[in-house]
Amino acid sequence: MATAIPSIACLGVIGRNNNPLHISIFPSYDPPTKSFTPVRTPLQFSLLLSSTLDVFDLRARNNAASGVGLSGDYGLLHAVDERLACYGYETNTGTKFVVVVDMRGRRITGSLGTSGAASGGLDGQGSSGQGGGSARSRAAQAGVGLREGEMKPVFKAMQTAYIKLLQNPFYDPDEHAPPTGRGGKRITSRTFADDMRRIGENWTPGVTNL
Amino acid sequence: MDEYPPGSLDHSVPFLLTLGVTPGNDNAATYDSALSPILKEQAILIRSELPALGDDTAHALLRYIQEHDASELPCNGKEITKRYRFRVRSAERSFLLPPRRARLPDGIEIPPSPTPPVLHSPYSPLSPISPLYPDGLIDTQWILKHQSQVPSVLLVFYTLVSDPTLTTLRDNQIKTDVNNLRGLLSQSRYKTRLSIILLAEQHSPSSSSIQERLENIRKGCGIDSKSFFLVPPHESPEELSRMAENMLVTLQSVAIEYYREMGRHSRKKRSKGVVPQPTIPPVSGTSQTLSLAGWNVRHDFKSAIFAEYRLEMSDALRSYEQAYENLLSSEIMEAIPSWSPRWNEGRLLADIIAVRCLRCLLWNGAYSSAARRWQSHGERMADLIDRRGRGTRNYGFEAWEARWACLMANLIEKAEIPEFTAATAEGKKNDGSLVESAMRLYLTPEKAVMGERLQPWELLHHTGYWYRLAARHLYKRRQFARNMPEEDRRPPSFSPASQVASRAFMYDTYMCPEPYEEYPLESFAGREDGWVDHSQLIVEMLIRARREFMKRGQIRFAAELSLECAMELGSIKDWKSIVELLRPIWKDMSFRREGWVGVVEDLSWTLRTAAVMAGEADLVVAIDYELLYKGFTTVQNWPYDTTRSLEGMTPKSRPRISVSDDMILSFVAASFVFRDEEGKAGQSAHAQLSLTSNARRGSAPVVFKQVQVALRGSVNSIILENKADEPGPELQQGEARLVDVPLTSYVTEDESSDSEDGSSETEKTVSLKGEAPLTLHAGQTIVFKLKIPLREPGQTGADSLTMSLETETFDLRHLIDLDDRSPAANNRWFLTGSKTKRIARANPLSIRVLPRPPKMEILTPTWKTQYYTNEPIDLGFDILNQEDVDAPSKLDVVLSRQEEALPAVFALEISGQEVQKVPAESETGALSLSGVSLGSIASSKSLGVKIRLQPIERTTEYTLTLRVVYHLSTDPGTPITQEKVLSLTIVNPFEANYDLLPRVHPDPWPTLFDPDGVQVDDPAITQDKPLIPKGISQTWQLVTRYASFASEPLRILDVDILVQTPPSTRVNHSKLDSSPQQHPSSDSESRIIRPKTMEEASFEITARKNTLDDRSPSALDVSLIIKWARITPPADQQEEDKPNSTTLPVPRFSIFGTEPRVLASVSYLHLPPKPKQDAQQRIIILTLTIENASNHFLTFSLSLDAPVDPLTKESEFAFSGTRQTTMNLLPVSRRSIDYRILPLVTGGPSSSAAGEKKVVVVEEQGGKWIKPLLVVRDKYFQKLLRIIPAGEGIKVDKEAGGVLVWVPFETLTSTDDRA
Repeated sequence: MATAIPSIACLGVIGRNNNPLHISIFPSYDPPTKSFTPVRTPLQFSLLLSSTLDVFDLRARNNAASGVGLSGDYGLLHAVDERLACYGYETNTGTKFVVVVDMRGRRITGSLGTSGAASGGLDGQGSSGQGGGSARSRAAQAGVGLREGEMKPVFKAMQTAYIKLLQNPFYDPDEHAPPTGRGGKRITSRTFADDMRRIGENWTPGVTNL
Repeated sequence: MDEYPPGSLDHSVPFLLTLGVTPGNDNAATYDSALSPILKEQAILIRSELPALGDDTAHALLRYIQEHDASELPCNGKEITKRYRFRVRSAERSFLLPPRRARLPDGIEIPPSPTPPVLHSPYSPLSPISPLYPDGLIDTQWILKHQSQVPSVLLVFYTLVSDPTLTTLRDNQIKTDVNNLRGLLSQSRYKTRLSIILLAEQHSPSSSSIQERLENIRKGCGIDSKSFFLVPPHESPEELSRMAENMLVTLQSVAIEYYREMGRHSRKKRSKGVVPQPTIPPVSGTSQTLSLAGWNVRHDFKSAIFAEYRLEMSDALRSYEQAYENLLSSEIMEAIPSWSPRWNEGRLLADIIAVRCLRCLLWNGAYSSAARRWQSHGERMADLIDRRGRGTRNYGFEAWEARWACLMANLIEKAEIPEFTAATAEGKKNDGSLVESAMRLYLTPEKAVMGERLQPWELLHHTGYWYRLAARHLYKRRQFARNMPEEDRRPPSFSPASQVASRAFMYDTYMCPEPYEEYPLESFAGREDGWVDHSQLIVEMLIRARREFMKRGQIRFAAELSLECAMELGSIKDWKSIVELLRPIWKDMSFRREGWVGVVEDLSWTLRTAAVMAGEADLVVAIDYELLYKGFTTVQNWPYDTTRSLEGMTPKSRPRISVSDDMILSFVAASFVFRDEEGKAGQSAHAQLSLTSNARRGSAPVVFKQVQVALRGSVNSIILENKADEPGPELQQGEARLVDVPLTSYVTEDESSDSEDGSSETEKTVSLKGEAPLTLHAGQTIVFKLKIPLREPGQTGADSLTMSLETETFDLRHLIDLDDRSPAANNRWFLTGSKTKRIARANPLSIRVLPRPPKMEILTPTWKTQYYTNEPIDLGFDILNQEDVDAPSKLDVVLSRQEEALPAVFALEISGQEVQKVPAESETGALSLSGVSLGSIASSKSLGVKIRLQPIERTTEYTLTLRVVYHLSTDPGTPITQEKVLSLTIVNPFEANYDLLPRVHPDPWPTLFDPDGVQVDDPAITQDKPLIPKGISQTWQLVTRYASFASEPLRILDVDILVQTPPSTRVNHSKLDSSPQQHPSSDSESRIIRPKTMEEASFEITARKNTLDDRSPSALDVSLIIKWARITPPADQQEEDKPNSTTLPVPRFSIFGTEPRVLASVSYLHLPPKPKQDAQQRIIILTLTIENASNHFLTFSLSLDAPVDPLTKESEFAFSGTRQTTMNLLPVSRRSIDYRILPLVTGGPSSSAAGEKKVVVVEEQGGKWIKPLLVVRDKYFQKLLRIIPAGEGIKVDKEAGGVLVWVPFETLTSTDDRA
């Protein structure tokens, strides 16, 4: 029995000026073709990442008004549809990390118990009555949900990678988010891109260290 | 929602039917039975025989009831505060009820059976006339029956007549009519509650009779008091509303009771567990009848609906879920073959139940459960269709998915969830600013599911997301539709029957058209109107979604949707709409500002395509201009030439486009740098304007017509015009081209006419113009070297840059804001084309212009080192113009003083003419005279200015500030200031001390016994004669020693005293000749006193009391007046030395004491020289004068002794006179006694023993002091009197007391020649 589990579809690093610094796109499993393909085009992912800025703005204003949200972890920003959900984190220098999770990006075969990560509750609320046997497999396909803090390791790893980047003396943060408040260069460091790739590919629900 | 059968998804609200009122103007709530023709035939007519009411009260009441129709109220539990909910319809006199028992259709053979066929409801699958017959589950007809055909409460209106003659008749008519209605209802076997409302016509005389009548009617009708209402006549509208409100609340409970009974009925039937037999067994089809499971679904569904009527949502949910599960169980849906029409009916029922479930969940605030329920229905449907139906990978299922998402959005909208609606209702509270606290994009899960692992989507998002989801499914639907093979898309009449048959099994056409309508072949498109416009559907969803996102401030998301929308509109060629949609976004999109280049590019190309088609020439040009930027990806075979932008377009007028850096991603990077931080007015500053093209490689060069730099400060702008380009030197890769631009200055006077007071001010705008090649090739940097003349002091800087592009077809102005905090990389100064140096300054865009160094000088040729009190001070200045040209000037003079000082009055003279202007005093006490025109001072000429100060009496200090403000006649716009600050210290030139020495008045004192001296007090005598003083007199000598504190020698012209005579005394004074040690000057009248030297002047003062009787002491006030002048060097004689007089007050002296005093004076008597002696011998006469100014008779004892030197045993002198005597003094008298003293001391060292201490004799230069032991004692008081020296040659011995007498040496005689 195959179960869909969440995977990372896209990692985005957005600078202080809301400018894209880095975008990594990861393929998701596509059941009809049985292959891994990205669920959206790069342009669509760009739009998706930029749409999270709306949410960052709203939350920041909200937090400022109510005086909460100091940690920088914004949690779920929004879910654009049943599959894709955006999680966000903002460093205290205004750099934002966005993780786009594809809730059905991976598929594991075998019983649910084999994967410790996927041991969460099933989405089978609707199948409370009789005759839900077949429906249950379908529901299982919808995959497991995510708990509040499950994106923390991803953000932590992204921040570590970003700090590593900042420690590079040839990386000038002002070039990437000029104080003029407009635009900025993208990150070209290959190490950073590799880090992002590693994080995006290795994360599954329940992973605590990346 | 509209695609579902009407009423199937609506919230069930108790149905109230009113009867007996004529319809008002609005027919919205008019009853319409909406029965199918076949049922109408059999319908039961319920009719009231009494005429319908048409009066105002009845209408008002009815309107109120109709206005409170609850069918459109938001479906959420928080609205429960409303105490009743009714769906109100009104019939005038009659209405139709559906038949309770369906008749057998004609022409049906009744199989022979022992019992007659049992008739069932026409809505039941048991009746052959029902579409459900024989094995259908339940359909919308049944829902509609309860929603709009069978009322729960029938409210009948009657009039209660007041005419006593008619009352009985009318009351009986009502009774009859009600009973008739009741009969009809009970005949129909519907349990509709009957309730009546009586509208009283007028107040009856007695209320008791009314009560009686009412009771009579009620009993006669057999109506419960809960359903019996009376409206008194002439009620105010408010009263009427209150009554109606109360009535509706009462009726609500009646209605609830009705539905409870219905629900109970359904449950009872379900619990029987019996499958009823249809009226006649089915003969057609599978001849299958509805199974028990099917009946259970039917009953559960009914119970749920009735629970919903009662607003018992949890009950309803439970029943719905039960019905749903049973429906999808293996016994029902799994058993229905997908080709059967029952399959789609089953799906429809599942959808309906799911929707009603969702509504119940939303009603109860279980939002996450709702989202989950929504998802699970979708998944179960997909699963079911995959296994049993025609699969999910076709357009039909995607159509359903889209519909399902849209349904959810509709439900959320209908539920009006406060957390979402707050954002929209309150959100725009004040001036459109969003209230942040109300902003929710998704709802937090309810408590029940809080701890679970939730899918992100299970947190209920706002409707925008749902509409967008619907749009995405519509995309997929279209995708599937487009992938259909052509033969499937042919209309059935044009395709072989076999294909039509196979198609039926391939495509899911549940609630969507057949393939030939879904996506017709092009040859057939338009033949029928039924084909689906996918784009239209998508756009509709996107627009709805966009509206929601906009409401919540998700601008970027909304922009994304707009872009998607535009793409869709592009496919249906609605170019105008695209331009309308995208133009505002294109203008100020955050993507551009934030560097999402890909998005910008996508949007720009979409908009450009549309703009070309829509004829928006300005947009096309602006987009083309932006697309030159090399950050965008290259489109192959695109010319990238702005001059060719409008090819193929014919704009109505020549487009004039204005773009700024905020609007586009500019391919031109401009920077402006001043080389130096500071410059001086009148000089030129070096600056560089560099334009760098970041256009893509291979794009056509851009030729600007003009580049204008706007400056702050005295120069308003620099304008560079394009010049025909001469081929520049060959440039290396990345090398900048340096161009020297000579600038010429133009002054244009702008007459600003907007000044309100009518006076038109002319403002001078100075611009610099130059010519330079302005062709910018891709990747090239042009640097214009500029020399900007600086005029006014202050800050001058570049603000913005305007580049004008003029082609054959359009004009474009590009504004670049230079004031932006430009990146540090821009602060480059080009030394050569490839060598730059970085200008490390905070703001290289501006230069600080220091004031022009003034060449006007203020000279002080006559400034003196020191100014003194009591001296009129003339300060002369020369203002020397060292500029090259004439300078019209103005002068400001400020004289500020110390706080305690008096204001000094001054006057100003210019070229010898006094300025008639009074200095103004400021708060700080400074006197100032400002803006005195000096006229035009010719070059290298000077102007004399004189400031005259009045004599100042006290020592003080002033600060004098002279400021000359001038401008050059050649450059009137640049004021120049020269300032000179001088410190003016006024000091006192002299200080003095004083001694008042007593002297013996030579004249005898008047005596009391002298008749001549008697004062006559007769006014007649004294009147004419001048008063001759006859009192006692005294003589004093005033010795003043004055020192010069001046810093230079001064000429003393005169020294005098001024005596203030006390009234009782006459005082004369005379100046004594200067003492011998003073230098006799050539001019005795004006001696010169050097600084820090002291001079002496003596005055004799003689005072005499007016009368002898007056013996009181008098005070003597004297001041010393020194007349002096400065010494002018002989060379500078034109200025006359004016005498100044300085008055020094002398401390007050007291004269005429009453105590007796002893005055000792000496005189030297020359003896005729003896023949044998060389030296002249002198006898010293010592005179003692005792004055008794008192009224007492005094006796003094006098003694004189010549002390003997203990060593030599010799006396210093010999004397003659009484050695010891007694002297009596009468009151107011004076007596003198003389001693003749012959000094025995000799001059020279011979007589004085070396090393011996001389006790008595004090030797000095030229003489010696001897000390006669003179004692004067008051006999009576036994008191020694002090002997006061009165004259030269005698002084007080300060060491031992007593007096010393001076013996000049030439008077000394040898001891041998003692007389």
